[in-house]
Amino acid sequence: MSIKSGYFKKHLHADLTKGCIERRDISDAFLERHIGGRGFGAKLVWDSLKRHDFRIAPLGTENLLVVATGPLTGVYLPASGKTSFISISPATGLYGDSSMGGAFGIELRQTGIDMLSISGRAPELSVLFIDNAETTILPTPELKGKSCLEAEGMIKERLGTHAVHVATIGLAGENLVKFACVNADWSRNAGRTGMGAIMGSKNLKAIVVRGQRDLPVHDVAGLAVESDKAFKYMKEHKYFKLWQQQGLMNVIDYANEKGILPTYNFKDSVFARHDQINGATMLDRYKIGDSACFSCPMSCGNICLVKSGKYMGTVVEGPEYETCAMLGPNLGIDNFAAILSATRLCDELGMDTISTGNIVGAVIEGYEKGILSLADLDGREIAWGDEDAILELIQKIGHRQGVGDILADGSRRIIEKWPEMDKIILQVKGLEQSAYDSRASISMGLAYATSDIGAHHTRAWTIAKEMEEGQNWSDDEKVDTVIYHQKLRPLFDMLGVCRLPWIELGLSELHYANFYKYVTGKEASLEELLELSNDVYDLTRLINARLGISREDDNLPYKVWANPPLTGPNVGKVIDREDFQKLLSLYYKKRGWDEDGIPPAELETKFAD
Amino acid sequence: MQEAHEDHPMSRKLTVIPEQCSGCGICELVCALKHFGVNNPKKAAIRVLTTYPHPVVRMPIVCSQCKVPTCAQVCPVDALRQVNGVVQLDEDNCVSCYKCVEACPFGAMYAHEDCDLPIKCDMCGGDPECVKKCPKGALRLIPEAALGESRRLNNVLSYTQMKEIEFYEKGEKRVIRYAEVGKEEL
Repeated sequence: MSIKSGYFKKHLHADLTKGCIERRDISDAFLERHIGGRGFGAKLVWDSLKRHDFRIAPLGTENLLVVATGPLTGVYLPASGKTSFISISPATGLYGDSSMGGAFGIELRQTGIDMLSISGRAPELSVLFIDNAETTILPTPELKGKSCLEAEGMIKERLGTHAVHVATIGLAGENLVKFACVNADWSRNAGRTGMGAIMGSKNLKAIVVRGQRDLPVHDVAGLAVESDKAFKYMKEHKYFKLWQQQGLMNVIDYANEKGILPTYNFKDSVFARHDQINGATMLDRYKIGDSACFSCPMSCGNICLVKSGKYMGTVVEGPEYETCAMLGPNLGIDNFAAILSATRLCDELGMDTISTGNIVGAVIEGYEKGILSLADLDGREIAWGDEDAILELIQKIGHRQGVGDILADGSRRIIEKWPEMDKIILQVKGLEQSAYDSRASISMGLAYATSDIGAHHTRAWTIAKEMEEGQNWSDDEKVDTVIYHQKLRPLFDMLGVCRLPWIELGLSELHYANFYKYVTGKEASLEELLELSNDVYDLTRLINARLGISREDDNLPYKVWANPPLTGPNVGKVIDREDFQKLLSLYYKKRGWDEDGIPPAELETKFAD
Repeated sequence: MQEAHEDHPMSRKLTVIPEQCSGCGICELVCALKHFGVNNPKKAAIRVLTTYPHPVVRMPIVCSQCKVPTCAQVCPVDALRQVNGVVQLDEDNCVSCYKCVEACPFGAMYAHEDCDLPIKCDMCGGDPECVKKCPKGALRLIPEAALGESRRLNNVLSYTQMKEIEFYEKGEKRVIRYAEVGKEEL
């Protein structure tokens, strides 16, 4: 049975060098095979790499940026607001993707397309405006250097409407900071792998969308019934209210209790003053409004305001867990107002808070250990919890001033410049690590090492299970769980929905096969969808393997092997190299890749058409 | 004509508590689903307007069913009338001039290219979908006399001269707020 609905079957391609826009048809076979989101993106990136004989400079004009929605994006079901940005990452030089929430993707779909791809470089800083069936490239030199928030406001003013959605970059994107992000709806970010730098390299300040078309759904009534069940389940969940109130900020207490909270650049994994920066404190003193992505009842976004003191007047949507952990405890900051200020600064510059927190943390530790001299830091001292120096350094990265110019190129460049920093900075394949300490969880280590974009938890997040299971957990089960996560979690990105209802409230993944069925009219079991997602994982591995990745790159940061957390429940714990290699071999075996982590050659023919 | 019972749903008002709105747009989705049978927030009779960061506002905008409706006053063919507390659009007589959409002081009527008529809230016959599906309780159906209640309460709670003391009751932190009054004022 083939798909009957669920897509507009249209792909918009913009070549910014030539200034030409093309609307292409998408075949049913393509849609069924790749589903959407990163599934579309990986295939387009693969085809483009083949055309260029696998020689694509991430920030070169030939690199393709794909913005893709899924068949479920924007329809009536829990948290259907996701859009993926896919390209070759400037941070890793490998396959990269990042997804954002908000409502940008819904509006993009409503213009009547399933995905957008962009190549080339505009002669001057421009905005791509997709206004229903019409697409124009507007030169916008006036937006140069503007923050994401200013740019969004100015674009709306220029177009004379507030009823558009804007995905924009800030100064960091324009300056090709390798962890620059794309910001939409003011505060929703495609944060990781430097998608903002890709836009910057194309002289593309923003993508603006306005659409009004019906979203294609095969069985509207069937979907509504299924969705109502899912909404009802969520609303009745005992933690539903907690999620609305605190969102991901409630994870701070959990991470601290379990000893996985990055503290002082991962020197430690508990933070003594965590109660000054946790969800309860936010709710008590800073939260002024709730914010949700499209169609999400959990509304995990928090709008915060600093009401007094030095940072008075700072408004920001966020932080969520990762941001708070990386810009708070990881830098020794115990003042929530300062974290809000740093978050706002990152939103304005358009810079990933996870990478920023890692790099600033590494600089502080590097200076503390004498790896970086005062001269390296342009004569400005920096220390744990030194809010002024930290905010100043974040500015310098975004502006590429002084040492900021080197830091803006990410951990690879930092290690190249100061080789000893390899022992300080936490990264895999050039992507700085997420805010979950893996030293007490070897399966989480495996997840970071084998994630196709680098040290990010988006593909597999097994740490909670390992914390519960402890040592009584076989290698087989660890590997199987990592692989299951690597199939399931990316499937949410392909469908164009958020995975939090599943992870956090335990909404059964079986709903998603039903959602897919009602939307597309194609019967598919969850297993079949997971297999399609697994194919994408094979494809991204194939891409990375052709770009030179092998077993030695599926590595972990030095600290994970050598420097155990100093206090807390995981004091003294590190991952044993041999144990890890054993687990990695088992992982490759189960995946059907060879001992060097290279997928079989015949896989290429699978993605030939 | 039958007199509307005080508790008849039609005599109730759809009210918005913007402070509780998260901007999720579920109200838009379910409104369009109910009235047009499609997944399209742009066909809803309710929309969430968002501004950020100055000021931070999430405001669902929906018809207030005014007793003196501007939309009806500007309608050249008398196609909008108050019936049982709801301003209803007479679809047969409407000429789709959209004067009502432009005139509504709240911008609470809408237009869409696919639709021949303006899009207007009809209160779903007294049981609005948006109220039922709002996950935040930001949309409520209340008796007319209760309008403004939540704002009154919020206003009192945020009264600036109130003093606050924290104390523990059975191990739980509690806060009590009171107005400090001088002896001579008592």
